[in-house]
Amino acid sequence: MSDMNNTPPLPPQPSNSEPASTPTPPPAAPGAVPPLFGAPGTDPADRVPITNMFGASEALLRHPRRIWFQLTQSGQLHLTLALLGIALGCALVYGFVVGTFSGQDQLWAAPVKIAAGLLISGLICLPSLYIFSCLGGANTRLLEVCGLVAGLLALLAVLLIGFAPVAWIFSQSTESVAAMGALHLAFAAIATGFGLKFLALGFRELNARFSGGLRVWAAVFVLVLLQMTTALRPLIGTSDSFLPSEKKFFLAHWFDTLDKDSRTGNPR
Amino acid sequence: MSVAVTELRQVPALLRGEAESAAVWTETCDAPRVAMWLAVTIGGSAAFGAAMGWWRAPEQALYTAVKFPLVILLTALGNAVLNAMLAPLLGVNIGLRQSLLAVLMSFTIAAAILGAASPLLAFVVWNTPPLAERASAGGAHAFLLLTIVVIIAFAGVAANLRLLQMLRRLGGGAGAARRVLFAWLAGNLFLGSQLSWMLRPFIGSPGLSVQFLRDDPLKGSFYEAVFHAIRRLFLD
Repeated sequence: MSDMNNTPPLPPQPSNSEPASTPTPPPAAPGAVPPLFGAPGTDPADRVPITNMFGASEALLRHPRRIWFQLTQSGQLHLTLALLGIALGCALVYGFVVGTFSGQDQLWAAPVKIAAGLLISGLICLPSLYIFSCLGGANTRLLEVCGLVAGLLALLAVLLIGFAPVAWIFSQSTESVAAMGALHLAFAAIATGFGLKFLALGFRELNARFSGGLRVWAAVFVLVLLQMTTALRPLIGTSDSFLPSEKKFFLAHWFDTLDKDSRTGNPR
Repeated sequence: MSVAVTELRQVPALLRGEAESAAVWTETCDAPRVAMWLAVTIGGSAAFGAAMGWWRAPEQALYTAVKFPLVILLTALGNAVLNAMLAPLLGVNIGLRQSLLAVLMSFTIAAAILGAASPLLAFVVWNTPPLAERASAGGAHAFLLLTIVVIIAFAGVAANLRLLQMLRRLGGGAGAARRVLFAWLAGNLFLGSQLSWMLRPFIGSPGLSVQFLRDDPLKGSFYEAVFHAIRRLFLD
């Protein structure tokens, strides 16, 4: 019962992004249960395997049920790694765009900090998400939760890439660190919102509902992301050192930046 | 190895509050299962203790990582006999083994939550000015202390809710389960507070040196200290 190979085979569905030669669904992970009616996997399109990072990116944006279904199957680790690869790659590219505001060392420092910050935030918050899901009665496995968090980070980073041209245009036309910071925060907020929606729907589709705990976790995750922008500063302006020596709460850092910006014009 | 993995998979069931399974697990003292609970209890609370002590100094992190699990385990052991006697008196007819395993299960749940929150606490500590700079960063320190209290309170509440479900399952009805839970809680709080006092410091004070134990660990008690503090506050 735990093996998807025992279920009646579903007809392969051609996809725009995937070759028609790979229609066989992957075998189920040990302990996985057959999908319930309406759950990911009941629609044949959900079962089209995701073979590479491009396929995973497209599935994230256009057919997330494929991701949720694949996360319950064997080989989920490959998909999770692919999603993390997407998150890393996209964060590096977006970080480069952020670095173009100041240029020089920031061209490599900003990508490294943004990519590392994103992945570390996910890693820090992963154990609490798993514990919250268990406390909420969700019967999800740790690997599935890892996959969902990887999907959140990947979708967040992919959306940031979509905003990158707009961010670059602004970074070439303004001198204000505070204005650029606000713009990047707005883009990150939109991307995080979509990422969290992906995560919440993923838990629901995996038949694991714990809305209260998930809301608390989402708030914690957002706080960690915001504090990470301060802990790894400067992401936008320039500095003599790679990391700051002074510890600050992110709100204090924002107010200080606004003050400095209004007094001096805060040149790049 | 496979036994350890199997036992580890039972921890999520504990967290989910699968009272049926948990009640069965108190029937027999299965050594690998109990060892896994102990490992989770020690590992989770040690990780949280390390994050807490790191605020003062790396050395304090190591000390607190050792002492925090000790408080939990010594509390469970110290009250084992009392808890086993109180349970049947208050309406839940279970023996010493069952009561000890039930308490250990609830501590395992709390420690798993604390362990999961330890990366978050470590991140908060990393972003907080050192304890020695207390005067210059009062808000940050208050936030960190509040974070520690909230996490410990959440872990305690979640663990006790699961314990209550399990006690209901073990028989005697909802009222008896509540009475036993409150009696156990009172006993554990009473002993746990004193053990914490003896094994102080956990965070440490910037004015005092980093130590595993204070020079006079057995002098006075937690309750005397609270009494003197209240007297100073209102009478002096």
